[in-house]
Amino acid sequence: MTSRDLILGKVRRALHRDGVEPGPVTAIAESLLSEPELGRPPLPEGDLRSLFASRVTLPQIGGTVCVVEDLRDVPAAVRIYLEEHGTESPVALQPDPDLMQLDWGGLAFTSGISPDQTVAIQKALWGIAETGTLIFHSAPNCATLFSFLPLHHIVVLEAKHIVAYLEDYAVAAGHMAVPRNANLITGPSGTTDIEGSLARGAHGPGFLHIIIVDKRD
Amino acid sequence: MTALETDFKPFKTRVEDALANRTLKVAIERTTGTARLKRAAAVSTWPNFAGARDLGRRIKDHVTSNLDHYLIEFERNAIASGAKVHWASTAEEACEIVVDICKAANAKSVTRSKSMLGEEIGLPLALEKAGITRVETDLAEHIVQLAGDKPSHIIWPALHRTREEVAELFRKHHHTPQNSDEIPAMVRSARRQLREAFLRADVGISGANFLIADSGAVCTVTNEGNAELTTTIPRVHIVTAGIEKLVPSLRHAMVLLRLLVRSATGADFTQYTTFHCGPKRPGDADGPEEFHIVLVDNGRTHMLGGDLNDMLRCLRCGACMNHCVVYRQIGGHAYGGTYPGPMGSVLTPELDGLAGSRDLVHACTLNGNCQQVCPVDIPLPTLLRGWREKSWNEGLEPRSVRRALWFWAFAARHPFLYRMATAVAVRVLRLFGEAGWVRSMPMAKGWTSHRDFPKPASRTFMEQYRAAQRRARK
Repeated sequence: MTSRDLILGKVRRALHRDGVEPGPVTAIAESLLSEPELGRPPLPEGDLRSLFASRVTLPQIGGTVCVVEDLRDVPAAVRIYLEEHGTESPVALQPDPDLMQLDWGGLAFTSGISPDQTVAIQKALWGIAETGTLIFHSAPNCATLFSFLPLHHIVVLEAKHIVAYLEDYAVAAGHMAVPRNANLITGPSGTTDIEGSLARGAHGPGFLHIIIVDKRD
Repeated sequence: MTALETDFKPFKTRVEDALANRTLKVAIERTTGTARLKRAAAVSTWPNFAGARDLGRRIKDHVTSNLDHYLIEFERNAIASGAKVHWASTAEEACEIVVDICKAANAKSVTRSKSMLGEEIGLPLALEKAGITRVETDLAEHIVQLAGDKPSHIIWPALHRTREEVAELFRKHHHTPQNSDEIPAMVRSARRQLREAFLRADVGISGANFLIADSGAVCTVTNEGNAELTTTIPRVHIVTAGIEKLVPSLRHAMVLLRLLVRSATGADFTQYTTFHCGPKRPGDADGPEEFHIVLVDNGRTHMLGGDLNDMLRCLRCGACMNHCVVYRQIGGHAYGGTYPGPMGSVLTPELDGLAGSRDLVHACTLNGNCQQVCPVDIPLPTLLRGWREKSWNEGLEPRSVRRALWFWAFAARHPFLYRMATAVAVRVLRLFGEAGWVRSMPMAKGWTSHRDFPKPASRTFMEQYRAAQRRARK
C-alpha cells in the first residue's frame, strides 16, 4: 500500500465514507463566500487610486508614490527618483513591451538582472487598494527576481488596473492561466526578527517606488 | 546554554531556568508586547472582525470535513501544473523523500525558508545526517542556526536573543560583518552573507501557508522576501506541507490570509505573498526546473474526526503564545516541543506522546486568552482539559498529584471539613503577608521566588457571607 492510499484511507475512515461527490462539496465551498463583505474589512471612502496611494505610503508599509499623466512621462519620473537617491548605476528594465517602447533618454541599462542589482524597473499587472499590494505574474518577459534582487524596486502601475479588494484580483486572475509565480508585493522588504524592531531591506528591496500612470490629472 | 541542551532536562527544571533568566523575560516582553498592541490595533479597525473570524473557522472546518476531496483535487491540479506530488505518512518518511530528492539532484547546498512543518518532521537534522549543507534564510532562523539553538516562537524564532547577542554571532560567523551594532547594519550584514547562499544553493526548500486546491498552487508568506529567493534561484524547489493546509480556492485563501497576518504581526497583509504553481515554464526567465510537493500526515489523520479535530484549523499565527501568561514567563524553549505556547501544549502530546509531555497540559491557567485571540476560534483551553483527563485516565499523573486530588475530593464532599481547612489556610497565608502581598513563604519557594502572591482577605468567602447574612437578619 502506498502512503497516498494509506493517508486517503485514514482520512475516509475518519470521515466515515468511501468516496465523495465533488459537486456538492464545491457548492458548499462557494456558498461560504456568498457574502463577500463578511470576509473583508470595509474600504474607506475615496477613489481607488487615492486609497491605494495612501495605503502603500503608510509608514508600516513604507512605499513611495508619484503620479504621472502618461506612460511617456515615466522615464522622467524615474530620472527624478534616481537623482534623489544619488544612484547612477545601470538599471535593469523588465522587457515589457510598454516599458521597452518608451524614450529613456541616456539611461544606462544592464542586460539582465544581477545579484547585486541596484535598481530594477517593472510593470505591475494590478494594484489592490485594500492593502496597497502590487501584483506580478511570472512570464517569459517577467522574471520573478526583478521584484526581489534589486535594492530599489521601481514599479509602473496604471491607475485603471487598481482594484478594490484582494478578491477582485482573484476573480480577474481566474480568467487567465495560472502563472508559475503570482507575487503579491506590499511595500519593501522588512524584518522584525531582532528585538521586534523594524529594519528595511532584509532580503528583498529596501525601497519600493511606485509610479502611478493616471490620465485623469 | 543552548536550547538543545535544555531538551534533556525535566520540564520543571526548564521552567525554573527560564524564570530565573531576567534577560529572557525582557526579550520575550519586547517582542510579544509589540505583537499584542499591533494585533489589537489591527483588529479594532475592522468592525466585523468577529464575523470574518467565524467565516475563517467555517472555511477551515469545511476543508477538514472534506479533506479527501481537497487532497485529490489539489494533487490533480498540482500534477497538471508540472509538479511532482509525494505523500508521507510519517515524519521519517517525509525527511527520506526530501533527502532522496536532494541526493538525486546531487545537491551540496540547500537553502530553506522558515517552515514549522520542517522543524516538526526534523528536516534540519535529516539533511545534516545526509551530509547536505543547509542554510536557513529567514533572518531569525539564520540567527538560530548560527547559535546552534532551536526556534522559541513560531513567528519570531529568535525572540529569545537580544541584539547584543545577535551582533556577537554575526561578528563571529559573517564574512563581512557590520561595523556598528545598530539593527539595520546587522540586517545588511545578514543580507550580504545570505545572498551568496541563495546563489550557491542547488535546492530550495519551503513550507506552505496554504495549498490551493482548485489550482494546485502553494502559498508562502514572508516579510523579508527570502522565500522567493529560496524558491526561484535553485534548480529544484521542494515544498513540505501538512495536509491540513488545503483551502478550496484563491478567494478562500484571501479571507484566511487577512486573519492570519493580523493575528500574527498586526499588519494587514504580508509584504510578500506568493503563489507557486509548478516548475519553470517554456520561455520563463527564471524559476526552478523541478517542483516537488511533499504532503505530510504525521498524525493529522489521527486528529481528524477525533478530540483534536478543531486543532486542524490552526493557521500557525502565534497569537495564542503572544497572549499566554505562561509563555510570556517561560518562553518557547521551556516547552521542549517543536511548537510552544498553548497550540504547542495541545499538539506536542499528539506528536511526541502524552507520557513525556503531560507537564505541558498542566502549565495553563485556563484563562481563555488564547481562544479569544485565535483567528479561527480553536477551543484551546477545552483541548488542554481533554489532555488532562486523558492523562488522569491513563494513570500518567504521579502519585503525589493523585493523593492530593484524593484529599481535595474528600474535603470537597465534606463541606464542614472543607470550610475549616480553607479558614485555617487563609489565616496561615496572612501571617506571611506584607503590604497586600506574600513575597516569601516556607514550602512555597517554587512560587514565591519568582513572583508574589496576593495576600488573601481576612476571612474566607463563606465566613464573610454568613456574617453578612447574620447582620441582615438583625
